[in-house]
Amino acid sequence: MQARASLAAPGKAAAAAFTITSQLCGATFLYLILRVDGGWQVVGLLALLGLGFYLLERLPWIADYAMASFARVPLVTMITAAVVVLAFPFFVGSNTYMLHLLIVAELYAVLALALNFQLGSANIPNFATGASYGIGAYVSALLAINFGVSFWLTLPVAALAATLFGFIIGIPSMRTRDTYLALVTIAFGVVVQQLLNNFSWTGGPNGLVGIPAPSLLGHSFADPLVIFGWKLPSQANFYYLSAALVVVAIVTAHRLHASRIGLAWNALRADEIAARAQGINVAWFKVLAFAVDAFLAAFAGTIYAFYVSYISPDNFTFLVSVTIMTMVIVGGMDNVFGVIVGAFLLTILPEKLRAFADYRLLFFGVVIIAFLMIRPQGLFPQRMRRYGGDL
Amino acid sequence: MSALLKVENVTMRFGGLVALNDVSLSIDKGAVLAVIGPNGAGKSTLFNVVTGVYRPTSGRVAFDGAEITGRPTYDIVDRGIARTFQSSRLFSDLSVLDNVIIGMHTRTKTGVLSALFRPRSSRREMATCVERAERLLRLGSGDLFEQRYRPAGTLAQADRRRLEIARALASQPKLLLLDEPSVGMDDVETDALVADIERLRADNPELSVVLIEHDMRVVEAFPQHVTCVDYGSKIAEGDFAAVRADPRVQEAYLGKAVAHA
Repeated sequence: MQARASLAAPGKAAAAAFTITSQLCGATFLYLILRVDGGWQVVGLLALLGLGFYLLERLPWIADYAMASFARVPLVTMITAAVVVLAFPFFVGSNTYMLHLLIVAELYAVLALALNFQLGSANIPNFATGASYGIGAYVSALLAINFGVSFWLTLPVAALAATLFGFIIGIPSMRTRDTYLALVTIAFGVVVQQLLNNFSWTGGPNGLVGIPAPSLLGHSFADPLVIFGWKLPSQANFYYLSAALVVVAIVTAHRLHASRIGLAWNALRADEIAARAQGINVAWFKVLAFAVDAFLAAFAGTIYAFYVSYISPDNFTFLVSVTIMTMVIVGGMDNVFGVIVGAFLLTILPEKLRAFADYRLLFFGVVIIAFLMIRPQGLFPQRMRRYGGDL
Repeated sequence: MSALLKVENVTMRFGGLVALNDVSLSIDKGAVLAVIGPNGAGKSTLFNVVTGVYRPTSGRVAFDGAEITGRPTYDIVDRGIARTFQSSRLFSDLSVLDNVIIGMHTRTKTGVLSALFRPRSSRREMATCVERAERLLRLGSGDLFEQRYRPAGTLAQADRRRLEIARALASQPKLLLLDEPSVGMDDVETDALVADIERLRADNPELSVVLIEHDMRVVEAFPQHVTCVDYGSKIAEGDFAAVRADPRVQEAYLGKAVAHA
């Protein structure tokens, strides 16, 4: 403990400087990659990113130093992060395409964090996260269109409906494991999508149109957002809303990870038989992972539905589930920060590399195989829990 | 004195294979029972039946005054039976400390909702667990405490065995089932293991231990109750001297020719 502490114990000032600088660098990189327009610029930025990860791999003390710094000045870390997130739209300005990408990235970050409870913490390959996402979107859209229910009320209702769905697919899935479990969840995902496609009350293949924009304290989310005389496009409303949801997802992930529930999931992942011998109710904890995943995914679905105001079964295909899974694997299983990075990278890169547009599934397939071969732990591997510290 | 664990006429069949054949045994509070027998005799199956991994084909298991035959494992662990595995089954990508804390699963109770909405109580529970886990890690031989932040998978063999025992003790069991705890230990480590078990019993006079062992040095240290199993049947029971002298035991271990020589 002592040796460790002295190895990577930055002073308060150094830690604060490092924390602020690193986050600003990250934000700048995100801004640049959103801004650039295909071609060599993207390749250049990717090379830069690759170099960064190469250094992280070669010099593991950098990661230790970063973690120690963040832990040393948690308040500075959080305030910087908050400022970066809040200020970002002001730099993006009226570029609605960039804002759109950011919103999608944020929603995917929530979905990836949701799946992380299963795939990352408990090693349950669930290919039905896209379906939970869709159920959340459809439930809230149907409530809003048919019954005029407000967005804020549809959020919890959609989440509960999706959680119920999580239990429903979780219980039969408990009879299977590994590959067979994956097959069961794939089947569920496809069934849900086909049902949405074939029911008449879901609008069939045409989907649901005209989902009203939410409003808060008299401000409609369809209107531009005016802050201190700055006028931001209407997308900024959803950007902030999604950012808030990401925060909720992060807090959820942290609290569960740090509790006995996160430990029980990790135990399942490591050795199911030993986990059982520790008195863990294996079936219950697996179902629980399904439920938590569905709950968070439904939140993302609701925001998505109200953001685009038009949803169809095509938004919730098997490809969506594969995308989410890729994000978790690339980012780093069971590492909250890594999963978010994975979600942002894999939302933005395919958009920037338009050449791959028709080969998206192939692209994700290649990425997954490459990662499983070269770096199976993901960009940011999971870290050991530490106790008695400030983290 | 009433028995803490009672196994009555348990038979366990897998298809045509009879892994346990009408086995009965019992163990009193605070006693140590050594179960010996050649490889494949059914010793580990016995543990699996007691801990609810297998449901016996016939017969019953009673623990602490209640029948537990066929109860789910989590219920049996909750009632106070903890076990270790013959081939250590640690959570190898988790730290030594986390392994022990997971062992406390049945003694903690934070659910999803309280973890999310009452983080303070969840954190307090964890802090208590950490404290208890560190105390357990300091207890035994070896230097597990100093290695508490290492991934369990990187431990040396003897430390892995010790960690298995610490993890089992974390659930505050009334009955501890040790499946060949001395496997992979040298003589010095084995002696330390025996000393550990003895200290454990001195600290918790109520604790009962069932020991599956091949190393006769360990069995010799706990000679009062020994049971020998072969081909799924109990062939001898008594104190160590009596069991060792039993011709059927010698035959099981050494083969017919030697026993009759």
